[in-house]
Amino acid sequence: MQNTVLLEKLQEIAGNTRVSTSTANIYCYSCDASQIRGMPDIVIRPDTTEQVSKIVKLAYENDIPVTPRGAGTGLAGGAVPVEGGIVLDMSSMNRILELDLDNLQVVVEPGLIQEKLNARLEPYGFFFPPDPGSSAMCTLGGLIANNGSGMRSVKYGTTRNYVLALEVVLADGTVINTGSKTMKSVAGYSLTDLFVGSEGTLGIITKAILKVRALPGERSVMLASFENPELAGKAVVKVLSSGIIPSACEILDSNIIQAINAYDPGVGLPQAGAILLFEVDGTENSVNEGIRMIEDACRSLAIDIRTAANKEEREEIWAARRLVGAAVSRLDPLRTRVYVGEDIGVPIKEIPRMLHKVREISEEFCLPIMTYGHIGDGNLHTGMCIDMLEDKDWEKLNLAADKIHRTAIAMGGTVTAEHGIGGARAEYLELELGKALDVMIIIKNALDPKGIMNPGKMGV
Amino acid sequence: MDGTDMRSILKCVRCGTCRSVCPVFDVVGWESSSARGRMLVAHGISMGLEADKDVLDCLNMCTTCGLCEQLCPSGAAPPKVIEDTRHQLVLHGKMTDSQKELADRAKELGNPLGEKKERMSWLGDSAKDVREKADYVFFAGCLGSYRYPELTKRTFDILKKFGVTVLQDEVCCGSPLLRTGSDPLELTSKNLEQIKKTGAHTVITGCAGCYTALKNDYPGGLNVIHVTEFLADRLAEMDLKKLDLKVTYHDPCHLGRCNGVFDAPREIIRTVSDLKEMRSSREKARCCGAGGGVLKGYPELSLELSKRRLEEMPEGVDYLVTACPLCRTNLKRGEPKVEVLDIIDLLEMAMEQ
Repeated sequence: MQNTVLLEKLQEIAGNTRVSTSTANIYCYSCDASQIRGMPDIVIRPDTTEQVSKIVKLAYENDIPVTPRGAGTGLAGGAVPVEGGIVLDMSSMNRILELDLDNLQVVVEPGLIQEKLNARLEPYGFFFPPDPGSSAMCTLGGLIANNGSGMRSVKYGTTRNYVLALEVVLADGTVINTGSKTMKSVAGYSLTDLFVGSEGTLGIITKAILKVRALPGERSVMLASFENPELAGKAVVKVLSSGIIPSACEILDSNIIQAINAYDPGVGLPQAGAILLFEVDGTENSVNEGIRMIEDACRSLAIDIRTAANKEEREEIWAARRLVGAAVSRLDPLRTRVYVGEDIGVPIKEIPRMLHKVREISEEFCLPIMTYGHIGDGNLHTGMCIDMLEDKDWEKLNLAADKIHRTAIAMGGTVTAEHGIGGARAEYLELELGKALDVMIIIKNALDPKGIMNPGKMGV
Repeated sequence: MDGTDMRSILKCVRCGTCRSVCPVFDVVGWESSSARGRMLVAHGISMGLEADKDVLDCLNMCTTCGLCEQLCPSGAAPPKVIEDTRHQLVLHGKMTDSQKELADRAKELGNPLGEKKERMSWLGDSAKDVREKADYVFFAGCLGSYRYPELTKRTFDILKKFGVTVLQDEVCCGSPLLRTGSDPLELTSKNLEQIKKTGAHTVITGCAGCYTALKNDYPGGLNVIHVTEFLADRLAEMDLKKLDLKVTYHDPCHLGRCNGVFDAPREIIRTVSDLKEMRSSREKARCCGAGGGVLKGYPELSLELSKRRLEEMPEGVDYLVTACPLCRTNLKRGEPKVEVLDIIDLLEMAMEQ
C-alpha cells in the first residue's frame, strides 16, 4: 500500500489530530531514555481499543512494524521503533474505568500514570504498590509490559503480582481478554503472565485489571551508615535472614549520597561509604518491632543508625531517592548519566560479592561507578557518568557495562531485574536463558508470525 | 549553538520528569510538546535537522515558564536552550509569522502590540511630576502603558511620593523579542541610555517580563526590583487598613521561579487581606500560559493553559491577584469566577479605606 493511502486510512481510523508524521514528532519518538535509536514513519495516539485493533490489523495486512509506547521513560529502548513503522503512543488512553475496591481491584487503561492512580486511590485508603523511580511520569502500560517494580518490591513484589487480567490486541488485530477478576484462577495457561513483561513483542495491552492493597497505617524509615558498600551488603543479608521483611531496602553509595544532597540539600544525608535506607510499614506495633529488629541486625556493622523524624522527612528522602538516577549527572558539569548496564540483579547472598566486583570493574576501567538500588531484592543500579563528547569514555562505558552484565550472569543473576531487555540487552539473553530463549522465539513466531510487533527487541 | 547549550542538552537524560510538569505537554500531548522533546529537536537542529513549520511550532509553543528546569533532576536548562535555538533560527530567517510580527512592531513602533499612540500618555496629569534625576526609575512596560494605563498611572502616583521617576521616552524592554529569538539591541540601548541619564541606581517594574529582561538580559547588570519589592519595604509608611477579603495569588513565572520574587507580593497581600494559596505556588507554580510568545502565537493553546491554571484556584476567594500584566491578561481570558486584580489594585483598596 502506498504511504499516502496508508496515512489516509490511519487518519480515518484514529482521526486526523491523532496521527502525526511531523518532522518534530518523528524526531521526538525516535528514542527513550536509553541509547537505542530508531525513527518511526508515523506516530499515532489512539483513544480506544477499537482504534488500536484496526490500526494493528492494517499494519498486519501491510507488514508494517508497530511499536507501542507509554511515556517513553524506558531505559532499554523498548519503545524505540528500531525498524521504523508505526509508533502507538498509548498515553492518551489514560482513564480509570472502574474503582472496584470491595474486590480490591481497579480497571485502568494503559496510558494512565502510576502516580495518578495512587492519587485517586489514596482517599479510599488503598494503593497500587509497584513504585518505580519514574512513578510521576511512567504509564501503567509500560510498567506492565516491562514488569517494572521499584523501591517497595522487596516486600510487595513486582507489577506481575498485581495484574489480574488484561485486554490485549494481537498482531492480526484480534482482541483477547486474559485472566479474570478473581484473585485466583487456574483456567488454562497463564496468558496474563505471558504478556506481562513481553515488552510489546506479542501484543498491545489496551486495558488491565489490577489488584490494589490497603494502605499501611504506619511507615517508618531508618538510615544506617556504613564504611563501605560491601559492609552494607552484609547487613542486608543479615536483616533479611532475621525474619523481618522491610517495605523498602535501598543502598546508596558515597557518590549517590552526594548527588541526593546536591539535588535536594534539605535531605541532608550523612556522608558515609554507603547508606542503607530501610522502610517498614504496617501497624504501629509491627513497625516499631521491625525497626528494632533491623537496628539489632545492623548494629555490629553500621557506623551510625538514625530514624527519619517525621512523615515530611521520610517523603523528602524518598522523593530525592526516586530521581537520583538522573541526579547523578549533577556531580560533574561535563558528565552525564548514561543508562547502560544499569539494572543487574543477583541472588541476595551474592550482594556483597557483586558490590566488590563492581568496585573492581570501576577501578579496572578508571570509570567512577555509582551504586544504588533495591538491594533488598538483589537489584543493583550501577550508574556511570561520562563526557558524552569523548569517544574514549563511550568505549570504557560499554566495556564496563559488558563486564557488569557477564559478572551478574556468572553469579546466577540477571542482566535486568526491572528495566527490561528492549534493544539494549538482547545480546545477553542467550547466555542468561540458554535453550529457554528458543522457546521464547517459538512463542513469538506463533503469536506474531509476520514479526511486526515491536521488532528488534528481546532477542526474538 | 554555543558550548553551554550543547552541555545543557547533553545533561538531559530523557528521564521524562518534565513530561509530568510541562503545562504545554499537558494540553497538547505529543512528545514534541514536552521540554524533553524540544531538547531533542534543539539537538537535532544543531546536527542539521531542517527547521520546517512543525519544528518551529515545537520550539515556539514553549512558554519558557521554567518549571522543567526547576524540577529537572539532571540539571538541564531547557528554556535557555529553546530561546537560543529560536535565536539561531531567526538569524537564518526561520521564524513564524507571529515571531516576525512581534519583532517588526517592536522595532518600528517601540512596542510589540502595534500601538501607534503616544506611549507616555498614561501619565496624564502626573506628567508634571516626572523628574529628570532620581535614585529610582519606574519602567512602565508596553502592557502597562497601553493596556492598563490607569493602573500604571496609579502605580506611579504611589511611587512618585517616594521620589521615583519614569523614563521620558521609554520603549519596549525587549522581552518579547528576547523570548522569541529576535535581537532587541536597538530597544535595550535606547532604554539603557535613558536609565543612565536619570542617574537612578535601581529600576522598578510591575511586569514580570520587563523584570527578567531588564535584570538578566541588559548589559552591565542593572539593579532591578519589582514594584512589590519596593513597596513591601515601605508598607509602614502607607497607612494601610486590613480588608475583609480572601484572595489568592498567581506567581508569574518570570518573576517568581526565574528570579526568586515570592515573598514581597505575599507580604503585601497578607498585610491587607487573607491569602489562600493556589494548588501549586512559588517555585512549583503552574504557568498562566501567556509567556514566551505563546499568547501571541498560539492563542487557543494559551487560553487552555489559562483555564488549567484557573482550575488550581482555591474555593472561597474574592479575587485572584497577580503581579504581571501579561499573566493578568491571560488569566482574564480564561474567565475565572472572580475578578483578576493587579496587586496594586488590592493595595489601593486598603489605602482608600
